[in-house]
Amino acid sequence: MAKEMMLSGCAAAAQAVKLAKVEVICSYPIRPYTAVMMELARMVANGELDAEFIHGEGEHAQLSVVYGASACGARTFTGSAGVGVTYAFEVYSPISGARLPVQMMIADRALDPPGDFGSEHTDAMSCRDQGWLMGWAETPQEAFDNHLINYRVGEDPRIMLPQYVCQDGYFVSHISGKVSLPEQSQVDEFLPPLRMEHRLDPKKPISHGPQIRPDQGDVMDLARAMAFLEVPKVIREAIDDYGRIFGRKYPPFVEEYMLDDADMAIFIQGAHALTCRHAIKRLRSQGLKIGMAKLRFVRPWPTEDVAAALSKVKAVGVVETSTSYGGAMRGGNLIHEVRASLYELPTRPLVTSFMAGLGGEVVKIEDFEYMAKQLARAIQQGKVSKSVHWIGLEAEG
Amino acid sequence: MAMAVQTQELPILRKVRDLPKEEYYLPGHRTCAGCGPALQYKLVAKAAGPNTILVGPTGCMYVANSSYLCTPYAVPWIHTQITNGGAVASGIEAAYQVLIRKGKWQGKLPNVIVMAGDGGAVDIGLQAMSAMMYRGHDALFICYDNEAYANTGIQTSPTTPYGGNTTFTPPGELIPEGKKTFPKDPPQLVIGGHPAVKYVATASVAYPVDLINKVRKGLNVKGPTFLHIHAPCPKGWKFPEDKTVEVAKLAVQTGMFVIYEWENGEYKYQHKPKKYKPVGEYMKLMGRFAHLKPEHIQKTQAFVDARLKAPGMPVEIPIPPPRAEV
Repeated sequence: MAKEMMLSGCAAAAQAVKLAKVEVICSYPIRPYTAVMMELARMVANGELDAEFIHGEGEHAQLSVVYGASACGARTFTGSAGVGVTYAFEVYSPISGARLPVQMMIADRALDPPGDFGSEHTDAMSCRDQGWLMGWAETPQEAFDNHLINYRVGEDPRIMLPQYVCQDGYFVSHISGKVSLPEQSQVDEFLPPLRMEHRLDPKKPISHGPQIRPDQGDVMDLARAMAFLEVPKVIREAIDDYGRIFGRKYPPFVEEYMLDDADMAIFIQGAHALTCRHAIKRLRSQGLKIGMAKLRFVRPWPTEDVAAALSKVKAVGVVETSTSYGGAMRGGNLIHEVRASLYELPTRPLVTSFMAGLGGEVVKIEDFEYMAKQLARAIQQGKVSKSVHWIGLEAEG
Repeated sequence: MAMAVQTQELPILRKVRDLPKEEYYLPGHRTCAGCGPALQYKLVAKAAGPNTILVGPTGCMYVANSSYLCTPYAVPWIHTQITNGGAVASGIEAAYQVLIRKGKWQGKLPNVIVMAGDGGAVDIGLQAMSAMMYRGHDALFICYDNEAYANTGIQTSPTTPYGGNTTFTPPGELIPEGKKTFPKDPPQLVIGGHPAVKYVATASVAYPVDLINKVRKGLNVKGPTFLHIHAPCPKGWKFPEDKTVEVAKLAVQTGMFVIYEWENGEYKYQHKPKKYKPVGEYMKLMGRFAHLKPEHIQKTQAFVDARLKAPGMPVEIPIPPPRAEV
């Protein structure tokens, strides 16, 4: 029988890693993700988990160790946060290019300067084009589930891609929530052992990663792109199986909350969706027709699902918890892809964005009320006043 | 059920004729004529045999060896970034430990060998190499030292000798000697501060039996081991491609490169000359030192003299002090 426990996002992730019977783990401390490794170190030390636990000499080494271990066919886990995520950058593309299904937890954190422990999505979002799956969890339960779902999808022979499994630092990583822990037999049914066709094995020698000529590069890039085209189908299968085995059914890509009759939508990912739900309930009680679309995967970007969800409304406010300095919309990252997803619609909603939660700031219910006010005004005026609003930092106009 | 992890015992050779005929680093690669690193690679692969995984950080031995669908390696080989040979090898060793323990792979623990150039070993790759040594992985880290970033067009590395002319240390009116700093000492970096390491050795392409036996000793030791192999580079050092072994020998005979092994804290020397020749005899063979004035050669001689007397480098018999050739 599944049992319920109060766990932080980090502790929930560690439970998922243990149930996935991960074989090689590489750690390096940086807040706020560190607690997952503390949990795993304890499990290895007391014999709960039979894995090699390696103390990496930095995040670059963490990713390098799991690159080597995964190439031998071991199931691997690592993680990081903030500048640790960017320190490892060199190794991300070699891992996805080698089609190694490594898993990395990111409990996100603002990048320097200045030193800031707060949660922000910029660290992970900076890596979104490296050929890894990527998505955020809203709660410790969703984090737990995402780790297992990502192993299943990434290790699928049709896919073989690494995964960033993200959760907001502190808001998810350090705040306890109810987590339903399944039986080992349920996890074993959902997640078969990793099988690698081309692993480093002296009994079957292969060369792994030789040099290529420029005219061979585009072919390999296309292979990675084609693999990504297969991912949505495999995610849907995995989510279906997950619901069947564990009894929790997620929308694969975009969760729609009170969106059916809505005029306006908040588009959001990660922990702040929790506050957003409450704000929407309150705004609905005031008579405002507002809903929420919560993104579960940034990579692959679910273009059709985003378009389908947002086609119902007249105005969309994208909550940005990352920066894209000098970008087309002058704010964060998500709005570019949201607008691109809506481009083919016969009637497009108005789209603006809200910079919120940067540096670890709490996004309050009042902030969502402010966003709703901006969206209502845009609908009334038939246009957005600007493409980006800095929440709490702009003169209301 | 947990399975015990077993390691290999490779026999030590007495003479070159005892070498196995099988090759695991095959012809057909694109290294330069007279390439020292390619020569040592062939010997290392032969010494290690088939139950081996080679780890290849970016460098000449990556770029000139492996073209797409074309590989000289007859054992598994994996490319790594120039930064992370030691870390990737750590992951490979750890994976085999757990896979064997869990009964997912049958056989003795494979030899894991990192084949890193001087940059991948003691410059940009130093951190990963040191961490592999510190953590005690059962793997052999080889620094094949051609004393420059050769693959990118001969730029200085931390092992380029003082006075070396490279494309980043060209001699000029203000900097007549070219390279102004003295080189790092790779084996001493490892010996000085990695308690898990029980075996470190140096070798040269000029002495193949010694080299092969040191590879085997390094692989037979349980735990991390380090081998520093002197591998002359005709293109980078500017000498004729048929002089690779001659240049390598003179490096040893002049004390520019010292052949020894360090085992459980004890030094033993091999191919030590009865009398060291002046360093100038070695330096004059190479275009990279052609611009040097007598005082620069004198400085190199003083550096070599001091190193031969340095703590941790005891000499067993009195050796006549070398004299600079002016």
